Amino acid sequence: MTDLTERERVSPIEPPDPPTTLSTDDQIVPMWRQRLRIFFHNKLAVASVVFLFLTIAACFLVPVLHPTNQTNQAATFGLPWNAAPSWHHWLGTDSSGFDELGRIFYGGEYSLTLGFVAGFITIVVGTTYGMISGFAGGITDTLMMRLIDAFLSIPYIFLLITLIAIFNRSTVFLICIIGFTLWWGNARIIRGDALLIRNLEYSQAATAMGARKWHIIRRHVFPNSISNIVTVATFSVADAILFLSALGFLGLGIQAPQTDWGTMLQAGTSQIQNGFWWEIYPLALVFILVVVSINYIGDALRDCFEVRLLER
Amino acid sequence: MLLTFSLPYFQVHGIRAPAYTVLGTKATPYNVAIWAKQHGMDHSYFDRFWTYATQVLFHFNLGRSYKENSSVWGIISLYVPRTIWLAAVSLALTTIIAIPLGIYQAARRNTVGDYTATGVAFVLYAMPSFLLCMLLLDAFSFHGPHLPNSPPQGVQAWAMFTSPEGFILPVAALTMLSVAGLSRYMRGTVLEVLVQDYVRTAKAKGCSSRRTLFKHAFRNALGPIIVLLGLSIPALLGGALIIESVFNYAGLGIQTVFAAENLDVPTVLGITLLVAILTLLGNLLADIALGLVNPRIRIEGTKA
Repeated sequence: MTDLTERERVSPIEPPDPPTTLSTDDQIVPMWRQRLRIFFHNKLAVASVVFLFLTIAACFLVPVLHPTNQTNQAATFGLPWNAAPSWHHWLGTDSSGFDELGRIFYGGEYSLTLGFVAGFITIVVGTTYGMISGFAGGITDTLMMRLIDAFLSIPYIFLLITLIAIFNRSTVFLICIIGFTLWWGNARIIRGDALLIRNLEYSQAATAMGARKWHIIRRHVFPNSISNIVTVATFSVADAILFLSALGFLGLGIQAPQTDWGTMLQAGTSQIQNGFWWEIYPLALVFILVVVSINYIGDALRDCFEVRLLER
Repeated sequence: MLLTFSLPYFQVHGIRAPAYTVLGTKATPYNVAIWAKQHGMDHSYFDRFWTYATQVLFHFNLGRSYKENSSVWGIISLYVPRTIWLAAVSLALTTIIAIPLGIYQAARRNTVGDYTATGVAFVLYAMPSFLLCMLLLDAFSFHGPHLPNSPPQGVQAWAMFTSPEGFILPVAALTMLSVAGLSRYMRGTVLEVLVQDYVRTAKAKGCSSRRTLFKHAFRNALGPIIVLLGLSIPALLGGALIIESVFNYAGLGIQTVFAAENLDVPTVLGITLLVAILTLLGNLLADIALGLVNPRIRIEGTKA
């Protein structure tokens, strides 16, 4: 923009600068950099990203750098239970005598890993299903979408409980079950996208030029629906963490002596009358901030993928 | 519908763990074999699914519970109305709160009030529901006004209206959760209507802003709002499960958790089926309401 104004100021007799000497400002800024710039203009979103990274780093590094006993119940014998915060235990100890601060990081490892892996599964399965459905069209599309409708009519938590009741409660299984039950909503969104883009002019042009379906999916539909996919994936991660916490509350989450944030919060809130605030509020704060920041990043991503905003 | 239930059913019966849960961990293989035969485990998967499906569809028979000596319907029938009432009252309150809130946020967008409402909804949405319940309990039951911490334990569904004070906290928690879940979409829905041409026309011809909002914008936003409310029903029933567990309100949710802990598969399946039917009924009601507020859809429907 600045270059244009400079060029206007140049008298018409002088020839314009050859293209090779153009300043970098005048070169076409790649799409992803424009989007990145919009994202970084959003201060809250950047703060969310930083907070999320710090939390993840803390959850995975602190237990390694400063190991605390979190699994050996026998070793806690003689240690104070439900002890108030002190110099030795910054956030006190929980009802089993484990150090609460260390346990927040330890449980975070499970909650965050599970949330991100399950979110990834939902988006992979949802995208694949949605793309296939959107592209197949006709009776296949109808059948696939009716199946989604049927699944969506069951509240997730009932289905999760049913499946967990039937199978075992190992961590890997929890990931799979949450991942493979939360993708229906995603599949529907992606299918809508695929259907929309498939009927746009450039896709139709590609079809007219003899492109195969797979090529159109790969070169046109997927790149153009990536914004929705990324946004939906972010929300899926937050949802997976929330559902895991709900399962933890019901005693169906990660099994002792391992733990996750939901199970820890449940243990903490069951003692709410005793006034052991250190077992509830620090973890609740971290949990809420993590989920809020993931959701906020999702919102910010959606904003920066909005093409209308690119026109500044 | 049928497909939905074939899936869990096929998985369910591949596993004989329920036998051990029912008979105890010391059950001999002989006893397990007898138990398995009594429950038809020696038939093929397809056979058993066919029996289950025909029984459910044509005889309204959900089977017998593994754990309790009773039919599944006998166990859950008492609790169905209680969960329905809890969900219905919360849905009504959600409607009363969420619609004006959405209109307020859209009309006064990017003001302090809008940001506050958005922020509160964001935090409520990010909070595990049981944590919200516990905080409510802490504030209003253990301290403060000392409301009862759980509803009366009888099973009559009308208790909600005869002695309401025990229901204040559960209903409030469920309402807050669903308002938080809805408000993210509600604001956008109303906002979308507010930028339409007919709203500008109404303003241009000199309508007061109140009249514009309620006569022109609100009526047109009502359709999408009803769709949103209909879509929120599964989340509402799911939230009811957690809330019933926290407040010890004997409803379908508590029964599900109880049955799941005991691997009582027919009961879990029966409840899940029932909840799915409730959801579908809710969606049907939403569709009917949509036809009532928007005659265009009704006409299209009759044509098609």
